Amino acid sequence: MVSPIDERGLRELMVESDDLQSDAMRTARRDLDDYVEAVLDTRAERTGSRDPGGMWPGWGKAGLVAGLTGAGALLANGVAAADAAQDVQALQTAASLENVAVATYKTALTLPFIGGADANAVVKAFAEKTMAQHTEHGQAFNAAVVKLGGKAQNDPNAKYAAVVQQTVPTIKGAADVVALAIALEDVAAQTYTKNVSQVSTAELRQLFASVAGVESQHKAILLAVKALIDGGAPQLIALPPDAAKLPDAAGGVGFPDAFFPTEKASPVAEGAVK
Amino acid sequence: MSTDKRPEMQISERELTAMTKDLDELHESSFPTVRKLLDEFSANLAHLTRGRAAGRRGFLMGIGGVTTLGVAAACSSNSSSSSSTSSAPVSTTAAATYDGDLKVVALAAALENLAVTAYTGALDAASKGTLGTVPPAIGVFVQTAMKQHKDHAAAWNAVLSKAGKPTITDSPLTITADQVKALGQVKSVPDVAKLALNLENAAAQTYTFATANVTDAGGIMTAATIQPVETMHAAILSFVLGQYPVPDSFIGVDKAVKPDALAPK
Repeated sequence: MVSPIDERGLRELMVESDDLQSDAMRTARRDLDDYVEAVLDTRAERTGSRDPGGMWPGWGKAGLVAGLTGAGALLANGVAAADAAQDVQALQTAASLENVAVATYKTALTLPFIGGADANAVVKAFAEKTMAQHTEHGQAFNAAVVKLGGKAQNDPNAKYAAVVQQTVPTIKGAADVVALAIALEDVAAQTYTKNVSQVSTAELRQLFASVAGVESQHKAILLAVKALIDGGAPQLIALPPDAAKLPDAAGGVGFPDAFFPTEKASPVAEGAVK
Repeated sequence: MSTDKRPEMQISERELTAMTKDLDELHESSFPTVRKLLDEFSANLAHLTRGRAAGRRGFLMGIGGVTTLGVAAACSSNSSSSSSTSSAPVSTTAAATYDGDLKVVALAAALENLAVTAYTGALDAASKGTLGTVPPAIGVFVQTAMKQHKDHAAAWNAVLSKAGKPTITDSPLTITADQVKALGQVKSVPDVAKLALNLENAAAQTYTFATANVTDAGGIMTAATIQPVETMHAAILSFVLGQYPVPDSFIGVDKAVKPDALAPK
């Protein structure tokens, strides 16, 4: 196989991938806009107003509207409000998970074996790029929340922030950091996969799916990296790897499940703004 | 398959193999817990045959169906008859037979079979020495990914079968002929990896598209739980090829294979 490329080569690849992903970002933003329009249209059909009014339908206004339009509208609006409120909560929880991920990668990059002189160049570059992608995901989720009249979630998810806080002092090397990152990526990917079944519009289903796929890619690469570190072969973490020297099992360790699990998914309201 | 001996391997293969086995067992153990939802899923299939959209209630019912599909896939993938992929690429009445969500289900089954065809072809080429020396890790990748695609195809075919429709055992897609032709021209492991990467990306984007364009809850969640697996395959393939493994912050749909690619009668 080809010998590993140098760090500059890796950076060039990342620039190329940035160009590619900017198209995807535009698509995601369009999906968000479509989603917002779909929700507001639904609201207009049911309440006569597209104005979220600084508050999400169902959080106070729904009762007033229902009182004016009768019991039938109450039922319809109640369903719409419940769906929409859950959508906002899901987006806020997603943003909270992204905030934890960003903070964790940021901390990791201050460690000598991830972002310092002792770091593997590929691992360092991966951590930087992944942190940037999580930042974009958080921005996208919060942009949708704000457009829908909710509050942006700028805090980390409390449950997983505590996990990180407890774990960081025990970190002794790159493998520990990678294990922590795998856990966070897995929770995010499982949450968004499950969110696909919990949100109320096609556009939002697609958005969550599109981010779930990226988090699971992070997980796949981290699983492969951890296997090589644990196996005492960190020198094989290169781009491209020397495939001839990779152990057999490394070929499958990155994707352990035929169907992506969801049992670790965060509840929809776990990271919602109180 | 021609492989190297790798005398200088510095990693504990036993450890990695054990890790993979543990993960397999973890995966398999999740299936029995959802068997009890089979009845709910069967009820949900009525939506498919009628082509009717499911509401949120249907969504929640359908979640059980996803993992139940996994059971069906896991069971059937162990049988010799499961989701076999014919070498004859297009031979179907698919487009005329399936409507609505079932057309997407048929498309997905056909796409999975195409992936199985590609990986089977790669193994055949490797066994003939066409690809040169194939690293053992690549061989494991191909076999593992191929098995998962068989599981996916079996899951989709279980839906078709329960809906009273014929299963898809080949790849009746308008793109199949070109892909099979390209497979016949591969001369190296990177050639195979590039071909597989394109198919994995197409599958991942197709499932992303499906989450927004399928109306049945079970179908949506099946697509949602398969899509990340295809993106993981793609990430590893990109890495092997020396490309950045997670190039996009969002999985797009521009490379999705649309339902009209299902070959007409």
